Amino acid sequence: MSPRRRRTLTLLPLAAGVAVLVAIPPLSTNIYLQNVAIMTFVLAILASGWNIIGGYTGYVSLGHSAFIGVGAYTAGILAERWGVSPFLVAPLGGITAMFVAFVLGLATRRTRGAAFVIVTFAMLELLGLVADNWTSLTGGSNGLVMPLPTWPVEYQNWPFYYSLLGLLLLSIGMSAWIKRSKLGLGLMAIRDDEDKAAGIGVTTPLYKSIAFMASAVLVGVAGAVYGYYVSFLDTSAMFDIALAIQVVLAALLGGRGTVWGPVLGAFLLQPLIELTNSSLGGQDAGAIRLILFGGLLLAVTLLLPRGLLGELERAVRRLRDVPVPSPTGARLEAAAVPVSLRGARPVADATAPPLLVVRGLSKQFGGVAALEDVTFSVPAGSITALIGPNGSGKTTAFNLIDGSYTPSSGAIELGGELITDRSRTRRAFAGIGRTYQLPRLFDSLSVLENVAAVTGELQVRGLGRSAVSGATATQSAELLDFVGLGDYVAARATDLSYGQRKLVELAQVLMLDPALILLDEPVAGINPTLVERLGDLIRSLNAAGKTFLIVEHDMQFVLSLCDPVVVLSRGTVIADGGPAAVSSDPAVLEAYLGEDFHAEVSPIGAMP
Amino acid sequence: MTLLLQTLIFGVLTGGVYALMASGFTLIFGVMRVINLSHGALLILAAYLTWWVWDRTAIDPLLLGTGVSVVMYGVGWLLYKTVIARVQRIDPELTLVASFAFAIAAAGVIALVAGTEARAATPSYFNTSFHVGELVVPRAQLYACVGALAILGGLYALLHGTALGRGIRACATSRTGAELVGIDVERSMSQMFAIGCATTGFGGAALAVLYQFVPDSHYVWIGRILCVVVLGGLGSFAGAALGAAVLGIGEAMTAAYWDSRWITAVPYMLIIVILILRPQGILGARLRAGSGAP
Repeated sequence: MSPRRRRTLTLLPLAAGVAVLVAIPPLSTNIYLQNVAIMTFVLAILASGWNIIGGYTGYVSLGHSAFIGVGAYTAGILAERWGVSPFLVAPLGGITAMFVAFVLGLATRRTRGAAFVIVTFAMLELLGLVADNWTSLTGGSNGLVMPLPTWPVEYQNWPFYYSLLGLLLLSIGMSAWIKRSKLGLGLMAIRDDEDKAAGIGVTTPLYKSIAFMASAVLVGVAGAVYGYYVSFLDTSAMFDIALAIQVVLAALLGGRGTVWGPVLGAFLLQPLIELTNSSLGGQDAGAIRLILFGGLLLAVTLLLPRGLLGELERAVRRLRDVPVPSPTGARLEAAAVPVSLRGARPVADATAPPLLVVRGLSKQFGGVAALEDVTFSVPAGSITALIGPNGSGKTTAFNLIDGSYTPSSGAIELGGELITDRSRTRRAFAGIGRTYQLPRLFDSLSVLENVAAVTGELQVRGLGRSAVSGATATQSAELLDFVGLGDYVAARATDLSYGQRKLVELAQVLMLDPALILLDEPVAGINPTLVERLGDLIRSLNAAGKTFLIVEHDMQFVLSLCDPVVVLSRGTVIADGGPAAVSSDPAVLEAYLGEDFHAEVSPIGAMP
Repeated sequence: MTLLLQTLIFGVLTGGVYALMASGFTLIFGVMRVINLSHGALLILAAYLTWWVWDRTAIDPLLLGTGVSVVMYGVGWLLYKTVIARVQRIDPELTLVASFAFAIAAAGVIALVAGTEARAATPSYFNTSFHVGELVVPRAQLYACVGALAILGGLYALLHGTALGRGIRACATSRTGAELVGIDVERSMSQMFAIGCATTGFGGAALAVLYQFVPDSHYVWIGRILCVVVLGGLGSFAGAALGAAVLGIGEAMTAAYWDSRWITAVPYMLIIVILILRPQGILGARLRAGSGAP
């Protein structure tokens, strides 16, 4: 199926659906039907907004209905004070909701999902209490009466209906746009592996803050319209925990992280809610509703955790996917270094100042000193090795250099600039790229997206651009070609083998175009032909100006490729120098290589 | 000065009870990284059980708390086996959603069985006090606090003095490591979860004596528990005790010096302020996946 045809096929039912929804009011004067539709739109707008933070970003909000209340009270109070229509001030409701989201989003700067759930729940409860107790502003438990509609009575509720329908289409449009944008790719990277995302240049606090604000803004506007529609604001209905649960339920039921899932969920759920509202009566109605919706949410998490559209997407992908033969070892011819990487930095020069300087670096974990007063430097244009027995502190050193850990003491300089206090992401911008011993990829993204998610210096304007297109897409594909995975751009990261994942991670690092590349055990667990190929890659990148710092146990690989070699043992540097000198150093032989080690400095994977 | 001292006494006594209520929650988070949002509903369930037996037999409700703890142990074990363990296998992110869904459904069941009128257990010493000079020490609060501290002591001894406790703490440090040294991780987890829930037995009994409650009160109580653990740093026992004292004193201060209408808002305000300004809690353990142990 051509993309164009597929597009028409998705747009056709969409256009038909919108046409039906637009046509309902003129064709029917049924107030009940209008009410069900209006409530459905409100829930769908809420669920669609929730999905931006809860679905794309993976931060579950348990208090999203608070933005309905924030929008409704903002518009209600302003309309009363200024004597204008609530419709006129509805956008201000959206802006207030966005502001509240910004302030609460500050709680996610340095923390993860758990804190966010707690803070959103607290927000909902606190705002409800404030609205209850601050009677001079909100009318407290007496409520706030909204002005009467000014349009002719035969228009019934159409103005509410159409404005909420418009807001819903806007919400879906925004959600779809975010999903395809650079911002959305960053959000999904955060969901899959937040630390890793920070390491490839995603400014995580900013992305999360924008996502939370985007998830709140249209809900706030919808809240203003909704408040006008119900004509009377009372705190328990406006800051309603039951509604907050229904939002989560709708999004999960339809499929979180998909554009249409939350909307579908709302359209399925709201009629059920209306049905229970009208058919359940008596004093037990509330209890039965709790059991019903609590039970339904429980059932969805247990039985349908991906949601309806999530399951559908998976089934379709299974049908469509044609298995590709494994390429590891199949494609090994040396490719030329992509133009984008060539000559980025000056080639090795013994007189130039070192690119990376580590001075007096120490790191304690509780009472254990993982590193103690470590000092070494990486000359610009070199391939430097960092070796030593297991537990000697090599990976800790990497984590300190790339900013995953903060050192207990000591300094790190890159290109003469002190970077010790910089965040992980800012170090990525400054020119440090890093791979992991066990490769870390974004498992829900494709191979191409994994590379395209890498982002350089932050430009807020660029966040709206389509994520995988133009120069980014070309360069990502080029780099994947370079590492030998050109045939796998469309594969999911989860479907790759261990060796392939290592190569994708290398492409990610190259996409960052760093001055210094840290490789953590690049050839561990890889077959010999691939080791050779990797040696070639590193050599040609080095010739093009890249500096490397490599942690590796394969001594033949290290000694043939690296100069200088830094040896760590028990958290301190015991040797530092050329490969020949280091491999015959008695201290190194005793601590690491063993007495019977014979250096074989023969070039492997040499350039043709 | 007397007012301040009096407020502190009220605050500390309440804090002792809060500490017990939060200890099970923080134990479960510390070991399993699970935010168990049904903890408030379990407390309310325990409160209703206590009230129901007390109403029919007039046995001292705080004493009943020990028996109710055994029941809550069973409830916790069932909850773990039927919901938590399953969702953890499917998608760990969703455990908190599932536990919240369970809380809502449970509140519905309680409302259906017990009705929605406000209840409170009122033993003979309810509303009587010891007097020390000008200061008043309410007897119910004192007994509840002493009982809570005793159970906390027992919990500490269990975690540090028994093989089961060592297994649980090993799992908290490293799940795979615990598996490697031959600990039955799955069994340790279910035991630990059940023990965490058992703490709501006495906690709920104390709640029944000290407060009025309805099925929906579980929102207020999970709010208080979350506040205590956020103040202390999630997963930390000592932090929970400190957080409980801060919240207890904060609430007593609000009632004494401001307006009792705002008492219920105190936990939420503390949560938001702490998470924005100092997310690692007062004691400094970081609130993030992969760190901290009880």
